[in-house]
Amino acid sequence: MKGAGVRFTAAAPALPALRPAVQAARVVRHSAAIAFADMRAVYTWKVWIFGWLGRMLAQVTFFTLLARTTGSEEHTAYIAVGNSVMTCALECMSVVASTTWERLSGTLVLLCAVPARPVWVFFGRSLQWPISGSGTSLIALLFLAPLFGVSWHPGQVPALVVLVPLTALTTYCFGLFLAAFVLNANGVRNIVSNVAYLLMMILCGVNIPVSQWPPAVQAVADILPLTHSLHAIRLVSDGAGASRVLGAAGLALLCGAGWLLGAYVAFNRFMARARGLGSADLF
Amino acid sequence: MTAVRVRGLTRAYPARKGSDGRPHLALDAFDLTVERGEIHGLLGPNGAGKTTLCRILCTVLLPTSGTAEVLGHDVLAEADAVRRSIGIVFGGERGLYGRLTATQNLCFWAALYGLSGRDLHSRVDMLLARMGLGDRAHDRVDTMSRGMKQRLHIARGLVHDPSVLILDEPTIGMDPVAAHAFRELIEQLRAEERTVLLTTHDMQEAEALCDRVTLVDHGQVIVTESVTEVGSLLARGDRIEAAGVPDTTVLALRKLPGITSVDASDNGTVRVVPNAESGTEQALRLLVDAGVTRISTAPPTLEEVYLGLIGSRGMAVRS
Repeated sequence: MKGAGVRFTAAAPALPALRPAVQAARVVRHSAAIAFADMRAVYTWKVWIFGWLGRMLAQVTFFTLLARTTGSEEHTAYIAVGNSVMTCALECMSVVASTTWERLSGTLVLLCAVPARPVWVFFGRSLQWPISGSGTSLIALLFLAPLFGVSWHPGQVPALVVLVPLTALTTYCFGLFLAAFVLNANGVRNIVSNVAYLLMMILCGVNIPVSQWPPAVQAVADILPLTHSLHAIRLVSDGAGASRVLGAAGLALLCGAGWLLGAYVAFNRFMARARGLGSADLF
Repeated sequence: MTAVRVRGLTRAYPARKGSDGRPHLALDAFDLTVERGEIHGLLGPNGAGKTTLCRILCTVLLPTSGTAEVLGHDVLAEADAVRRSIGIVFGGERGLYGRLTATQNLCFWAALYGLSGRDLHSRVDMLLARMGLGDRAHDRVDTMSRGMKQRLHIARGLVHDPSVLILDEPTIGMDPVAAHAFRELIEQLRAEERTVLLTTHDMQEAEALCDRVTLVDHGQVIVTESVTEVGSLLARGDRIEAAGVPDTTVLALRKLPGITSVDASDNGTVRVVPNAESGTEQALRLLVDAGVTRISTAPPTLEEVYLGLIGSRGMAVRS
């Protein structure tokens, strides 16, 4: 064993231009092992079903029953779909807290000293949230929402199975962007994630149609991926054409990619700032 | 070839509240050269600047001024090249993912250095076996003892096969058997011509392992010297230990010129510390003339040099 340092040659793809993407994917894959280990530590199947899922279904039921006492059947179904989808957005905001676990476990300083870009580690290490969130939302949409007048036919289910994880992943990217800032302010992590999910709940068409907001507020809603992915799911529910659904889903994807790019820049800036201040030491 | 080259390295932190308003200098115009294949010890009290230097060399901290190079790569301009050629091991239990297994931990860090596929798994398996953790490879890290975690830390530091290894108090928490195994590992690293920068408070460890040591205090180099020569910095002449020394001879020893101290215990054992070679000669002659036959001499230990040059601070930590 002779110390020559590692070169990026092992199993390199044929196209050199793809190497950074392949390398990033590897980092995400190995970082995801942390996510699933955390998931196993936090949840057993029983705890997930009767603790987390039960709580989320109760929340959806609460808002939907509230809507039913005050509104029409159509409004009730609107609230049922919105809040069912919201559950995955809520869970994905947990990325804000779990990103700061790196500082608590003392690994942040070591992550500053590796050649890989930090955003891919952080992207992978909290992937349990969009996966669990997708499951929660799909169960709520497919099994709870029908109790409140929402109906799905089998042909719509594949679209939901794609759109709900898309909602979760793109919202996760938004949360990742916020997490990069919270790394410097560990004490406000729960405040940031709660404010972010409440804003999404208010602005993105979960309970109140986006069109009812003034244009400035609608502009804010438009940069949040949940607005577009939830719209896509509502289009599926309304039986709209594939092109309209794909258009809304594309906008959600674009927003998610934008937030991921923002997170990439924000994590790089965080690391650069930490190196300057020595704050990566303060873990 | 030079492995580590540091010139005029300074790291300042803003003045703290209640201080005199001047920046706090964790490193102050620090110079250091470590040759390739050398085991170099960094010794100094808490707050002396050792960890600051280590963190600048492994690119997690930026210097305020001065230069630092690892294998010719500047830590600022060529940070990624430095990261690929340097391994770091910080002391303590933290820095591992407790919910992952030992194998998963190493695979994760290996992936961050660009390893993949068969190379990654063979490297991880080899390191776990080498650290004596092969049987615990699939156990969660939070079920391991402190010593095992420390060995895993070292494996993590070696996962990308670095030429230069920085070990910042790596034997903290190790039991004597593990610490002994650690020393054997360092000898293996020496045989592989790796460069090791070792910070430690264990003088025996530094004396046993290091080719050269640098004594650091107040962010500055006090002295850099080979371990075999470092004793000459403190005093001239070997220390003398003798058994069965009569009281009258002890009194005579204390009156000799060129003697710093004479420590006598109740069982007749005496330790004489001279401050000149002539003092050693005179003390030896006096002991022999007094009929003392159990006499041994030895040069000053690294610990004595450390205490002589830095020890006046006692338990005070630099503010």
